Amino acid sequence: MRQDDGITGGKQAAGSVEHDPLWHELVALLPAADPVPPEIALIGRSSFSWRTIDAELAELAYDSVGASPVGLRGSDGPRQLTFVAPSVTIELQVVPVGERRQLLGLLVPARDARVVVRHHDGIAAVQTDETGRFEVEDLAPGPGSLRCQMVGNEGGAPVVTDWVNL
Amino acid sequence: MDAEELSSLVGAAADGDGHAWEALVDHFSGLVWSVVGAYGLTWADAADVTQVTWLRLVEHLGRLRDPTRLGAWLVTTTRRECLDRLRAANRESPAGNERSFENLEFGGPSPEMRMLQSERESLVWRAFRQLGDRCQELIRVLILTQPALSYQEVADALEMPIGSIGPTRARCLDELRRRLGSGVSTGF
Repeated sequence: MRQDDGITGGKQAAGSVEHDPLWHELVALLPAADPVPPEIALIGRSSFSWRTIDAELAELAYDSVGASPVGLRGSDGPRQLTFVAPSVTIELQVVPVGERRQLLGLLVPARDARVVVRHHDGIAAVQTDETGRFEVEDLAPGPGSLRCQMVGNEGGAPVVTDWVNL
Repeated sequence: MDAEELSSLVGAAADGDGHAWEALVDHFSGLVWSVVGAYGLTWADAADVTQVTWLRLVEHLGRLRDPTRLGAWLVTTTRRECLDRLRAANRESPAGNERSFENLEFGGPSPEMRMLQSERESLVWRAFRQLGDRCQELIRVLILTQPALSYQEVADALEMPIGSIGPTRARCLDELRRRLGSGVSTGF
């Protein structure tokens, strides 16, 4: 039996759960049983050093991994990512090569650009060809983001992609 | 932390204030962990998911539609990364299904950190860890993010209708109770 209609919002929802001793056991138990591991708590702090200033953000618009249902065995083929910025779209294929990754990228519209892969493992820099394509070999898996500086527009804003787990 | 303070910290961090950033991280790390810990991820994957979430926020600081809803933004971003991690690893994790004991511990914090005082607490914790991802995630987010997130924010962040929070939680508790009740003396 409902005590009140707490479903319309507010911090306390109605229902018998708040009177359930098991719920109160969990409320007391969870923070003690699983505190944030210190290493995890430190991860966020160091992220700030990757901040870019005045860059154009190419947001993740499509990820083929997210498109497949959990529980279904996906193919071992390349993962397809699309990042969209106001001035350019970046298509990226992430090809597994053993435990490592190969990146095959395309700037649309085709642009002459210097592409830097920002990665915890270091930085890799490549150049696009005349069709706007680029390739990065032998990357370690893990968080990565691309930073594209258009050639001929070195004073202009670079384009950076949303960080993803490569 | 009230909405005004949160908004102010986000703005300062967007302008390059490292201390403001650290305050945000310190405030919300528990919230991020409440989601990460619900999934049977390896330690390396848990660290990667956490890192991607914070790195993504760094570039979105000045672009958040509503800085006061940063908590919900973090929950949503983290859970999508967790789900992607599971998909990419080709692991099966259907909602509500049982987990094997192998997935219970991901070799992270040392046992001493789990300052469990009694056998009952150990039993409840173990049984809780056997619940499906959705149950663990919902209960962890409800408990570990208070008072940061309202029920509406929890619903939005977990991408579920607010009307289903109550029934889902009740169902999860019933399952937990069932697991605890089977062959376990309460002595309590």
